[in-house]
Amino acid sequence: MGFFLWDLGQDAAAHLRGITGWIHTRRPGQGTDFLADEYRAQTRRAVEALHPTTMQLRVVEVTDRTPTTRTYRLEREDAELPPFRPGQYVNLWVDIDGVRTHRPYSICSIPGDALLELSIKEVAGGFVAPHLLGHLQVGTRIESSGPSGSFVHEPLADGRDLVLLAGGCGVTPFVSMVRQMDRDGWPGTVHLIHGCLEPDEAMYGDEFERLADASGQFRYDRIYSGASWAAPGRSGLLDARCLGELVGEANGQAFFVCGPTPMTELCRVALRELGVADHRVRVELPGAPEDVTGCPGWPAGLQASARFKLRVGDREVQAAAGEPLLCTLERHGLLVPARCRSGECAACRTRLDSGRVYELPTAHVRESDRDYGYVHPCASYPISDLELTL
Amino acid sequence: MGDRLDAIVVGAGLGGLTAALTMAHRGMRVLVLERNGVPGGCATSFVRGRYEFEASLHQLSGVGLADRPGRLYPFLEELGVMDEVDFVRTPSFFRSVFPDLDITLPAGREPFTDALCDGFPDAADGIQRFMKLLFTMGKEVKYFYPLMAWPSLPPPGRVLPLPFKTPNMMRYAMLTWGQVLDRHVEDERVRALLSQIWSYLGLPPSQLSFTFLASAMASYIDEGPLYVRGRSQALSNGLVRLLERAGGEVRLNQGVREIRVAQGKVTGVVTDEGEEIPATQVVSNVDPVTTCRELMDPDEVPSLFWHRLRSNTVGPSTMNLYLGLARTGEQLGLTHHETFVNESYDVEQRWERMKSIGPPAEATVTNFNAVTPDISPPGTSMVVVTSLIYGEPWLAVPPQEYVATKQRMADQMLQLAERVVPDLRDAIEVIEVATPLTNMRYVGQLGGAVYGFEQPPGETTLFRLAHKGPLEGLFFAGAFTQPGGGFEPAMLSGCSAGAKAAHRADATRAGV
Repeated sequence: MGFFLWDLGQDAAAHLRGITGWIHTRRPGQGTDFLADEYRAQTRRAVEALHPTTMQLRVVEVTDRTPTTRTYRLEREDAELPPFRPGQYVNLWVDIDGVRTHRPYSICSIPGDALLELSIKEVAGGFVAPHLLGHLQVGTRIESSGPSGSFVHEPLADGRDLVLLAGGCGVTPFVSMVRQMDRDGWPGTVHLIHGCLEPDEAMYGDEFERLADASGQFRYDRIYSGASWAAPGRSGLLDARCLGELVGEANGQAFFVCGPTPMTELCRVALRELGVADHRVRVELPGAPEDVTGCPGWPAGLQASARFKLRVGDREVQAAAGEPLLCTLERHGLLVPARCRSGECAACRTRLDSGRVYELPTAHVRESDRDYGYVHPCASYPISDLELTL
Repeated sequence: MGDRLDAIVVGAGLGGLTAALTMAHRGMRVLVLERNGVPGGCATSFVRGRYEFEASLHQLSGVGLADRPGRLYPFLEELGVMDEVDFVRTPSFFRSVFPDLDITLPAGREPFTDALCDGFPDAADGIQRFMKLLFTMGKEVKYFYPLMAWPSLPPPGRVLPLPFKTPNMMRYAMLTWGQVLDRHVEDERVRALLSQIWSYLGLPPSQLSFTFLASAMASYIDEGPLYVRGRSQALSNGLVRLLERAGGEVRLNQGVREIRVAQGKVTGVVTDEGEEIPATQVVSNVDPVTTCRELMDPDEVPSLFWHRLRSNTVGPSTMNLYLGLARTGEQLGLTHHETFVNESYDVEQRWERMKSIGPPAEATVTNFNAVTPDISPPGTSMVVVTSLIYGEPWLAVPPQEYVATKQRMADQMLQLAERVVPDLRDAIEVIEVATPLTNMRYVGQLGGAVYGFEQPPGETTLFRLAHKGPLEGLFFAGAFTQPGGGFEPAMLSGCSAGAKAAHRADATRAGV
């Protein structure tokens, strides 16, 4: 009995300690007042400063880069430019004949620069690039997304020695990477190999040459694939022979590859032949391919021009087999949040209620999203009549 | 929207989805509005390269499987979740690593107790007594559990026996884990081991609710920790599918900017796009502070409720390193699902370190391939390193220093993880780092607090913020409300909030 009372007394004392302690620590006025508007405003500002959803930009400078590319330097009018990581992109919003859409462009400037630099290449038969090249001039205002993308150098995983393989205008993310290394110093080596059509098309070639001359750590090579090349230098493709000659033995470097799909695929194969482990190779996903009917797994005999019914809610529109669903939706004013437009970021995740789509092999759909019938419209093409829920 | 809605749920986190599903099962017309493009809140996943990463779930308590069902099992079964979602038991409970100790504790009453007693024979008596108490607590919590989700006041037949059915819960209600543990175990190593999963709740033993950690421990050991096949996104997607099957609707990419109030009653919501949707019940899965300060006119909220909120403090957030490794767990020597790496036995000191951005004193290294081998491509493994850290210091990081700060801390966490996986860095193929600001960005909760408000004895289970809000027709669900933070509590909060909202809907309808 005595023991029982002692036990009970101990509990009571502990409770008392607990309650007084609790009241003591929970006295208002201690710590941050999370009810204050300022606290939540601070949170919003912190998130918005890093990841703005939209940015209001104004063109302040336009320069011709190559015969087919132009460089735009833009200032942000609604706030400071957010920090970003070299290799990331922003989406530029356009309104073309009533169709509102956007395209991602790699940032060429570096974090901390006052202006945002983008280089846009003319795309034969393109929809957005010709519009931008035709319309953007000094003073033009344009809206963009905040920076995003995961094609960035990860110091914790990628080490110090990098080989950057660029095809055509796929060199743009590397411009930012190389510039940052030049500004901040770099503990290892960087080797940029740019495959382009001909010397005229070597974007940022002069700048790279200058940097390579000035630095022992940065090496720059160009290789021309065009039939009409007439300048000194190499010709051919970024295949195993060429990479073997230029890079030599692979010993722990991280490889970054950006360019059109045939080029990135060639590099992938070549690097495998050279004994580079797959996980040392990072490939930036390209946007929609020019001709999806040539992609692996495309249904035999199905023409890009084939048309299917696409039902969204109570609307029904025509969708061409050869066009990503995202573009078809945008064409009809059905806006789906999207960012990467290459199947990777999942922002455009949409449910397919019936019908079948062709999905690019690069589409990164979550396992359970796939189980429940979700698709990424930016990397999906209709191959039957479809029903979607936005 | 032809027919009138009975309820709108703001936010499709686990609390919001289970609340919606509970209401739909009771015949209500329910609409869930979610600002994000994917449902689940914290219960989600994302793809980088050839890896799909689990965003948050380590191991799930309180559910169990049909052979040993947990206390939440009947709720999930009634909602159809157990048939829709595939849960898997993790092979062991956890491995715990200290500078001079490396021990693996299995689940199961005897195996767990034996492993601990074998390791520390001198403390065996105390361990046995303490474990017995834990399992008694587990039993009592099982009795008490349904009462927390009762639609209204539980009947006297269930309440009156409480002193006999749940004597220990009552006895220890206001005690901390440390207070009870200290009575049974003196060895600081054993105390550290028994307190190891404190980071699943967010406070050190000296402040953490005994009841809450005891019920979590009892469930993990008795019913075995679970993981979800297809990652926690499969749970969220499953809940959405079930809700739709029950006649409910989920709209993604559609946030709520206002909860409409008239004469002290909730009347509906206004979406980000300006659409006004009337409803007599609104369940907010947004944290209560944001709900009352930002989604509605704060003047409508009775001042007493602000005092109630003020009695809380904001809990910790997380820092996560998501690692796609080009080697298997076996190759790396990481064969357990959950490994805790501790710098010292002093949990209090480890907690102090969470208050500033700097080298963490504790990290959890989770290898998901141990429980679902095919979760990443053959020859690889998917590992997440987690450290708790408070969100507030991150608000003061200048934007231009954010990336460097994040990388510095990630590096420090890797160093800690390297104590158990020496070859970790070499194997990294993909790395993604998430900070408290990442939580704030995607989930939007106050302070990025993954477990909601802090969980001392006075702020857990029935003492925590109730599901009935300060205004008529307003209900709260999620980690900030009863019973507390975590996957299991969040789902129970939804069941409870949903039941209470359904009860009110019935009562209002009957009154009209």
